[in-house]
Amino acid sequence: MARSVQVKTPSTFTEYKILLGKDLRREFRTKEMLTSMGIYSILVLVVYGAALSQSSQGVDVLQMSGGLLWALIVFTSLLGLNRSFEHEKENGCLDGLLLVPMDRSVIFLAKATSNLLFMLVVEVIAVPLYFFFFLTGAPVSDSWPLLVWPLIVGTIGMAGIGTLLSTITVNTRGKDVMLAVLFIPLIFPLLYACVSAATVVLVGGDWQTTYLTSLALAGGYDVIMLLLSWVLYGYVISA
Amino acid sequence: MPASDVQTDQATDQPADQPAILVDHVSKIFGSRRAVDDLSLSIPHGAFLSIFGPNGAGKTTLLRMLATLSRPSEGRIVLGGIDIKEHPEQAREHVGLISHRSMLYDDLTAYENLMIAARLYGVENPDARVRKLLDAVELSHRSMDVVRTFSRGMTQRISIARALVADPDLVLLDEPYSGLDPHAVDVFDQIIATVREGRTFVMVSHDMDKGLAACSHVLVMARGRKAAFAKKEEIDFDAFSAFYKKTVGMGVA
Repeated sequence: MARSVQVKTPSTFTEYKILLGKDLRREFRTKEMLTSMGIYSILVLVVYGAALSQSSQGVDVLQMSGGLLWALIVFTSLLGLNRSFEHEKENGCLDGLLLVPMDRSVIFLAKATSNLLFMLVVEVIAVPLYFFFFLTGAPVSDSWPLLVWPLIVGTIGMAGIGTLLSTITVNTRGKDVMLAVLFIPLIFPLLYACVSAATVVLVGGDWQTTYLTSLALAGGYDVIMLLLSWVLYGYVISA
Repeated sequence: MPASDVQTDQATDQPADQPAILVDHVSKIFGSRRAVDDLSLSIPHGAFLSIFGPNGAGKTTLLRMLATLSRPSEGRIVLGGIDIKEHPEQAREHVGLISHRSMLYDDLTAYENLMIAARLYGVENPDARVRKLLDAVELSHRSMDVVRTFSRGMTQRISIARALVADPDLVLLDEPYSGLDPHAVDVFDQIIATVREGRTFVMVSHDMDKGLAACSHVLVMARGRKAAFAKKEEIDFDAFSAFYKKTVGMGVA
């Protein structure tokens, strides 16, 4: 078949840039995800404040700080991931993307990248607030700047697997619950590794071995799950 | 709509030996239900096929399979010589879909929506193409407004422009009149008439008058099966009308 409009198949990277640009532009305009995730993270901090203020005599917050921080990140991310495909579902936009002659895994890469960026932006706001409210005056280890690596590695993994799962659950009844039910068990190894790495760099002591092992585990998880998500995405989104 | 704007975009050089659409013993099975059941038909290039049938007859399921949005459970579909199971991406290059759902992002402007589509399809000089299409659907003056502010009719016109952005040979219309006021219906018909030549159309509609006025071929479906299939000139309209009412009323054929 021939046509009068000249068409040249764009490169995968160009397709990725177009789709990522679309998500960023849309979010920049509506601020839907960033606002809801930001407010939610602050509310979780308020709840933490209420819960911990009742037991300040008996609980060493620093020892729990890695876990509390990751609980905040996981729940905030879940909220964002649940919304990430909402606007694709509206008006059948996802069908519009599926009609385009391109490898469908590009949709995954672009959506996972935009989710990652939104999650990181919220973390840039929420993590300093968490430090300010709960770790001010606590004997935090000098190694605390290394917290940035488990945060990045953990968020990459959550954005990747979360994007795949939110694609699966977007058309299901009770998708909010369904995403959480699938997401939390699947990211458990990553969460465990990231909580370990975060806790040891905040508490200090002999932290190097645990930190590096945990980070290696989290990195390995990311590589395997991202590759798996990428390979499976075409099938998942078509189904 | 300035006809000259779009008439230069007509698809050409269709292979004479290949039908535009070949549906060969196609079934679509959801669980234990056969939404489309052993359907076969052949549509020549340039034809306009109107598909009628009661709700749940399998019309939209068939259209989604033709659009490569859904895979046949059995059988094969060949679009202009391209088997959609073996070469789905190649087939997609030639298909445009206009649905009652706009496939447009509400928070992006009409221009942005069309530019995204044009760039994803790899249209050379996408800006010129998009501006030409906006002119064609008479919405250049609203090109920088977000789609959320558009009426249903205006959204549908942008949706048509989106579907035509890569100059498809096959245009699929899924209940395109749904929710349109009479003026918007007239505008829609005018646009479709202008881009009609050289392209193959398939339209699913409950509006029998509209469907029969536009078509060259008619397919009536019931319970996923082909209840009737004929060229328009072969149809006795009174008999067809009675048959269609019986089919829709009873849900069987």
